Amino acid sequence: MKKMLSTLCVVATMAFGAVAAYAQNSGGTLSFLVQPEPPTLASYVSTSGPIGLVMPKVYEGLFDYANDGSMVPILAESYDMSADGKTVTFKLRKGVKWHDGKPFTSADVQFTIMEVLKKVHPRGPNSFREVEEILTPDAHTAVFKLKKPAPYMMRSFSAYESPIVPKHLLEGQDVKAAPLANKPVGTGPFKFVEWKKGQYIRLDKNENYWQEGLPYLDRIVGRFIPDASTRTAAMENGEVLYAAYNAIPNIDAVRLKDRDDIDVTTKGYSMINPMALIEFNTKEGAFVDPAIRRAISTAIDRRFMIDTIFFGYGKPATSALSSNFSATNLHAAMPNYPEKGDKDAANAILDKAGFKKDANGVRMKAVLDIIPYGEDWRRAGEYLKQAMGDIGIELELRYEDVPTWLKRVYHNYDFEMNVNYFYQLPDPVLGVHRHYGTDQIRKGTHFVNSSRYSNPKLDALLDSGAGEPDAAKRTAKYKEIQQILAEDMPVVNLFELEFLVVYNTKLKGVYDSAMGAYGSFREGYLD
Amino acid sequence: MAEFWTRYRRNRAAVLGLGILFTILFMAATAHLFYPEDPFRLVGRPLSGPFENGFLLGSDSLGRDVASGIVHGAKTSLLIGLIATLVSIFIGIFFGAFAGYFGGRVDDLLMRITEIFQTIPSFIFAILLVAIMKPSIFSIVIAIAVVSWPGVARLVRGEFLSLKNREFVQACHTIGMSDLRVMLREILPNCLSPIIVIGSLMVATAILIESGLAFLGLGDPNIMSWGFQIGAGRTMLRSAWWVCTFPGIAILITVLAINLIGEGLNDALNPRLKERQ
Repeated sequence: MKKMLSTLCVVATMAFGAVAAYAQNSGGTLSFLVQPEPPTLASYVSTSGPIGLVMPKVYEGLFDYANDGSMVPILAESYDMSADGKTVTFKLRKGVKWHDGKPFTSADVQFTIMEVLKKVHPRGPNSFREVEEILTPDAHTAVFKLKKPAPYMMRSFSAYESPIVPKHLLEGQDVKAAPLANKPVGTGPFKFVEWKKGQYIRLDKNENYWQEGLPYLDRIVGRFIPDASTRTAAMENGEVLYAAYNAIPNIDAVRLKDRDDIDVTTKGYSMINPMALIEFNTKEGAFVDPAIRRAISTAIDRRFMIDTIFFGYGKPATSALSSNFSATNLHAAMPNYPEKGDKDAANAILDKAGFKKDANGVRMKAVLDIIPYGEDWRRAGEYLKQAMGDIGIELELRYEDVPTWLKRVYHNYDFEMNVNYFYQLPDPVLGVHRHYGTDQIRKGTHFVNSSRYSNPKLDALLDSGAGEPDAAKRTAKYKEIQQILAEDMPVVNLFELEFLVVYNTKLKGVYDSAMGAYGSFREGYLD
Repeated sequence: MAEFWTRYRRNRAAVLGLGILFTILFMAATAHLFYPEDPFRLVGRPLSGPFENGFLLGSDSLGRDVASGIVHGAKTSLLIGLIATLVSIFIGIFFGAFAGYFGGRVDDLLMRITEIFQTIPSFIFAILLVAIMKPSIFSIVIAIAVVSWPGVARLVRGEFLSLKNREFVQACHTIGMSDLRVMLREILPNCLSPIIVIGSLMVATAILIESGLAFLGLGDPNIMSWGFQIGAGRTMLRSAWWVCTFPGIAILITVLAINLIGEGLNDALNPRLKERQ
């Protein structure tokens, strides 16, 4: 019976799907929340979240990724990988034009990867590190020559991760300072029109979009509303139709979900894989001894943090890698990650390591920096302060503005313990290696190895694990990597964040991309 | 003193204000007896309503006791209010006294400086200062003092201007008293009553500024205060009203009490002013 029902469901979905395919209405304006306001629109220089919400509508990548992980051809029509994995040939789409009318060619791809993403993008140097050169035998063919096979590279061609930018507007300029940053010209379904600081960004339909009939929407407006309760109100009265990355606080999302016209999903984040964590300064300060870091990880009640601060949306971390990597058999659960926290065990670790409690029960004092991305993180900091107090680590909280905090952690290394979250992305090479590799100690670059953890043995494993073509061998290598990291813990993972998308059911067609809110919305329409 | 109290007592509301303030002071002083635990301590089920799960006024999103936060926060609010006021009165007296007493260029210079501070909207200026110095109890006190002293300076200058030509001051000059002594020992005591009145009102303003800063997330993250409680609870106002309602009421009552006291002090210290009105 059950089976029959589910078969029926599938048939019904197919039928409705087919109906829906004919029912897309053209036209209309989509207002959605962009929170906070982006610092610039240069998505080829910064991976900052709000930029990701806006720019993939303007710039495109070679591919998009569907929810099931499959690649959707966008600027590339297809690719072909040689048997040794060291040559990847992309067939590029013909007839694509930049918003200023110039044709898109393989030279743009070559320039973007070699001169822009490999040089100034935070993650590009890692994603494309094996790319030695890109040949352009004709205007619509790009041949990537790799030093070593890099299968993970194929997961990083989305518009958010690797936007293809116009060569003719950047060549010969300082890429970081070029005016393109705030006057973007892309190939995407929407054209940049204006950015009213403090209010909104407006994108209009690209009438000459390469795919006939797309996009459906006439206009997309990204609204900046600094106050959380005002954002919720805007969602409730239909002023905005879409809000991702917790622009609507979980507590409100839980309430709004009960309404007929508003729904909530955790889909659209599988390429992002966000992980809440604590970075430690392993070179100076209170946490140089790995035993303390293990004790801290052992003491934290991850379940409590998820349930009280994030309203149940999240999964306790069990290792340096997210459990989402189980799909590729890379994840392995490790010790020192108890779900509910074990303060006795943590105290025992510290006692054994020789950190004595004084008369007030204090073993050591330190400052905890908190990612300045909103109230939830402050609550997390307040929780940690209490939890650490119980094992004799007296913390003082420090909460600064974004630039000061970034500078403190990633420029000056002037911190001891920092609550943060990182995107682990679709492959550990893209999102996880940057925490731990010695080559990722890059002073002044954000969201890399700020712990300054350096372990030659781990470096070798990371290096060989990255390009390992044999799945079983790769699993074994990553298991060893996770064992080393569970022992040394330069970073303590807290929990896998489950971000929410809160949306008005009127908006359809934007939920199929694994990029979620960082997608192009080219098939979005209003019902 | 007896006479002062008689006059003060005539204003019933002021007596009530004093009563409330003493209650709050008592509450702050005995916070550790009633709630010996750190107010940040996660003591029970998160988001319990008032009278639920043993919470008098409910608990917040992490399970911290709202009532404990209020009694401990009272100490912070009053202390910040008091210290910030003292600091700003000190700065204000310094500027006002010199400007009023010496007049001329000194007056011009000091008053121009005062005006620079007066032209900047005070709350925004306070936000700026705290943001630059990064939030801590020290930076908050400094910020509040820096934005509130110009009023005092103006007042003190006016008093000094009117007092410096009186006979008793001239008498002091003739017997060869130094300027500093005349200012501190003779003129200043004579203009204390308006300073006390303005000071009492400034305590209330200081508490409001501190709460406002904490509400915006610029409070000291390590110290419990009413503004912090409201700021932490505001996102859930619709599902857990008690988290920010009770600290809000605490601020309201305290500021009201201090304002009533200020009125009463004004009546008691400047009786003629009152009769004229």
